[in-house]
Amino acid sequence: MKRFSSDWYWYYVINYTLVILIIFPIYWTFISSVKTPAELITSDPTYFPETWTWKYYFQIWNYDLSSTWQLSSDDYMRLETKSLKESIINFFIPNEKKSIGRAFWNSCFVSFGTILLTTIVCTFAGYALAILRGPFKNIIFLLIITPILFPGVSLLIPLYKILKDIGLLNNLYGLIFLHSTFMLPLGVFMMRNAFISIPSSLREVAILEGTSELQIILRVLLPLCIPGLLTVMVFAMYVSWNDYIFAYVFVTTGEREVLNVALAKIALGGNEFDMKWGSITAGSVISFIPIIIFYTFLQQYFVRGVTGSAVKE
Amino acid sequence: MRRSDKEQIIGYLLILPAVLLVLIFLVYPFLNSFYMSFHKWPVFGDAKFVGFKNYIKVWKDDQFWNSLYFTFLYTITVTPMLFALAIPIALLCNIKAKGSTLFRSVYFFPVVLSFAVSAYVWMWLYNESNGVFMYGLRYFSIVSDDYNIWLERNSSLLAVNIQITWKFFGISMIILLAGLQSISDDYYEASKLMGASRMQTIWNVTLPLIKTSIVLCLILSIAGSMQVYEPFLIMTQGSPANSTKTLVMHIVDVGLDYYKLGPSAAMGTTLMIILLIITSLQLSILRKDNK
Repeated sequence: MKRFSSDWYWYYVINYTLVILIIFPIYWTFISSVKTPAELITSDPTYFPETWTWKYYFQIWNYDLSSTWQLSSDDYMRLETKSLKESIINFFIPNEKKSIGRAFWNSCFVSFGTILLTTIVCTFAGYALAILRGPFKNIIFLLIITPILFPGVSLLIPLYKILKDIGLLNNLYGLIFLHSTFMLPLGVFMMRNAFISIPSSLREVAILEGTSELQIILRVLLPLCIPGLLTVMVFAMYVSWNDYIFAYVFVTTGEREVLNVALAKIALGGNEFDMKWGSITAGSVISFIPIIIFYTFLQQYFVRGVTGSAVKE
Repeated sequence: MRRSDKEQIIGYLLILPAVLLVLIFLVYPFLNSFYMSFHKWPVFGDAKFVGFKNYIKVWKDDQFWNSLYFTFLYTITVTPMLFALAIPIALLCNIKAKGSTLFRSVYFFPVVLSFAVSAYVWMWLYNESNGVFMYGLRYFSIVSDDYNIWLERNSSLLAVNIQITWKFFGISMIILLAGLQSISDDYYEASKLMGASRMQTIWNVTLPLIKTSIVLCLILSIAGSMQVYEPFLIMTQGSPANSTKTLVMHIVDVGLDYYKLGPSAAMGTTLMIILLIITSLQLSILRKDNK
């Protein structure tokens, strides 16, 4: 197809318009979170904040999110800006037990646990599927891969019962197990493919040199599987960080709530209007930051993991 | 012991954790939901076999049909919206130009954000007095001053659909793009030689060649939409008057709020069967394509 320069003009006009439209909700969230309450609820919205403030962030990071969650403008006015050192300490040790800060660290814990568990289990299973022989190998592979067809949401009720029976209800470890398991079929499949694509002679040489099985996995083969491994890790993070249903249904104790669920308390709670939307946008930005960082650096693995899970190759 | 025997034992040991997790948290609940759907679960005491009673109870439940109807309604409205955005943008991204990879990564970006948090963000955009989206609509005099988008079923549905389209067209776009990139340039050359216009080329050459990708996206979108839960749970909570209650929402309510595990499991099984049919359809199409 021959293109004229005016075509390129339209190509960029259309693309930039789309980019602006798609990024706008996120931009709007961010600037809403740094506006002052007065500016937030003017009838004429400002497209760039006149005065910047980070008070919402400090406030929700520490505020007690118990059942009577009410934030008032008075709380907001009383809030003093802390010194850098205090802020850093406060970032790692939020004041209240049921605050967004606490929920953030809960989410981090669950995501990190899921990444760790998924990586270990998928690597071992993928390696095993590459070295195993005999009829059982195919049966096991089918057993692991078939549940990719099960819709997670229709299993909520039986899962609730199981978690209750084994005492993992209301428990962050329960969430780690669930997130990891729902990620397993795809993860094992990817790691198996990664290990199979490595020539077996490499492993045989290592065995002749007397290397142990674990060392073969970690030192010899795994470095060659980095793309597959990263896809699995990034996808595990995506699944775990973004999960809402499991956390909402299975973890109901305030201090163990994860970020997504704790934010619902603000979004659906009955606190004062200007405080509510400033807080919720600030909370949303806190939730977006880790994903944005990962996406910026590991974008191709995100795309591969997320579409791979959808396509189920 | 021979070395290969030892190797096999190690293999089985290494795969054991994965097998255990899948058995406990996927296979067992899957089988259990069938079992539960045929039993009565009193608060105290043992489960009692009741045959198809739970299913009959569900069929007589008006809210089940309303929720199922609404879920279908959502599915058939959101799918065209996704395609209306995904196909043109996939075609746009297929053009090799400076900055095209950057554009592509921006278009995919909303996909990686969480369902729940993007729902909060859009609730703020839709807010009746200060949401910027409503401000825009008022600016162009599309709605009156005190318009609340959540007061009617259809406007709530449209609002959620817009949010979902924004969040999810990226997946369809990437799948379609993969299809587009596998098309050989020869087709375009031939089309050009025959004097076809650009629209004719897209319509008669490009789209038929990515038919498999389109069907795949279609089925993915349908299967995903049938399981919709979070957007409505967060943005509408089923209101007004339970008219935006989706099937999964109803399943969870019946099971966990009213503790009627039997009927809830029966509905879950029904949904699962619907989805398994859709997914197996998807797999058979893919298999046919691979041959």
